[in-house]
Amino acid sequence: MADEIPLSLMINGTTRALTVAPERTLLDVLREDLRATGTRRGCDQGSCGACMVLVDGEPVFSCLSLAVTLRGRAITTIEGVDAGGELHPVQRALVEHGAVQCGFCMSGIVLTAKALLERNPHPTVEEIRHALGSNVCRCSGYVKVVEAIASLGKRPGEKASSEERS
Amino acid sequence: MKYAEPETVEEGISLLAATEGARCLAGGVSLVAMMHAGQLAPEMLVSLHRIQELSAITENGEGLWLGAMVRHRTVAADTRLGGALEVVRGAAEQLAHPAIRNMATIGGSVALADPCTDLPGALVAASARVEIAGPGGRRLIPVEQLFVDRFRTCLARGELVTRLFLPRGTRGAVGHHLRFSRVSGDYPTVSISLVLAMRGDTCQEARVAVGSCGPVPLHLTEADQRLVGTRLGELEVAEAGRLLAQAAAPIDDVRGSAEYRRLLIPRLLGRALSLAREHTHG
Repeated sequence: MADEIPLSLMINGTTRALTVAPERTLLDVLREDLRATGTRRGCDQGSCGACMVLVDGEPVFSCLSLAVTLRGRAITTIEGVDAGGELHPVQRALVEHGAVQCGFCMSGIVLTAKALLERNPHPTVEEIRHALGSNVCRCSGYVKVVEAIASLGKRPGEKASSEERS
Repeated sequence: MKYAEPETVEEGISLLAATEGARCLAGGVSLVAMMHAGQLAPEMLVSLHRIQELSAITENGEGLWLGAMVRHRTVAADTRLGGALEVVRGAAEQLAHPAIRNMATIGGSVALADPCTDLPGALVAASARVEIAGPGGRRLIPVEQLFVDRFRTCLARGELVTRLFLPRGTRGAVGHHLRFSRVSGDYPTVSISLVLAMRGDTCQEARVAVGSCGPVPLHLTEADQRLVGTRLGELEVAEAGRLLAQAAAPIDDVRGSAEYRRLLIPRLLGRALSLAREHTHG
């Protein structure tokens, strides 16, 4: 029989007390125990990025992170990125650029972009594409997603990138 | 499944030795994905993330010690991995995607022994040594001896990888890791890892490892020797590439046929040598 382990996880600034089997992932716990379904289950292999969350501010795959290993870490999910009901700037930019498509990949993309902009407030298009390498969207060619994120990092008076002009 | 979080290496060794079918959990990227896919069902997971000594990076005159739990993201950003050690830094930087590099560890990469990822070949090229702790104490072996077969190491029951030693090597030597993949972030179809030292226009030292072309990283002293003492002309590079292609044991898969991989080896070797040479100050 599987061991059941009591633990507390810090999710979006709130401590959640849980009891989980060691093989259960953060994704399982978020979706099934906490009913926080904004984090999507895609491939369960760390290939698609739909399940992306931030752990101590860095993007990681919740489908490959065993919940028991995350004690004492700060976990941010898509439910934790808005501020008082206001969309996060990344979310707003994606809406404004029509970069939402079916939306399944968007939780992961928003978190990846949030982490990028916090680390590098003015990323180049190349840096944005590199950071989003972990996130797959099968609806789009990523152009509008990249444009939306680039619009947030643009310095005043900066010219549009060639990607934005095309 | 049982689960434990030891705080010392010795505690970890006791747990691994006491339980048949116990596995170490490092970054979890490959292990958890294999569990999801039904390829692995360990009796017990021994998580290494609370053993502090495994996260240390230390330096001495000869080189750098990287703890097994140091993540690829950290390796990729460490400026101390210059010169010959650039081969390891470059491999960590190019491996998979940013989120994978945030999770995966260098010890996990070597203990998994997947010959199709970037680190094993890069560590062979860098002449890395692996420290292994077990019930009988600790031992240090060349990383080449660790890799026995595809996903198989020489680790015995109760043993775990504690750290890797990367020697600085010859003064002026440079390392380079070149991967050819279908798209950025995919497993390499072929990768070339090499360390090169030049004296003027003459190759003083060369150590080449080929990844994704056999059950373990391919290193052939004979191929290295074809380059040493030469000016790395077309003929010598082609000859070294031919020897490596002949010795390779690639498989056909979705990333390329065995034949295609054999054709790539000499071409990528030439490119990797030119790129490395641009950075040498022989």
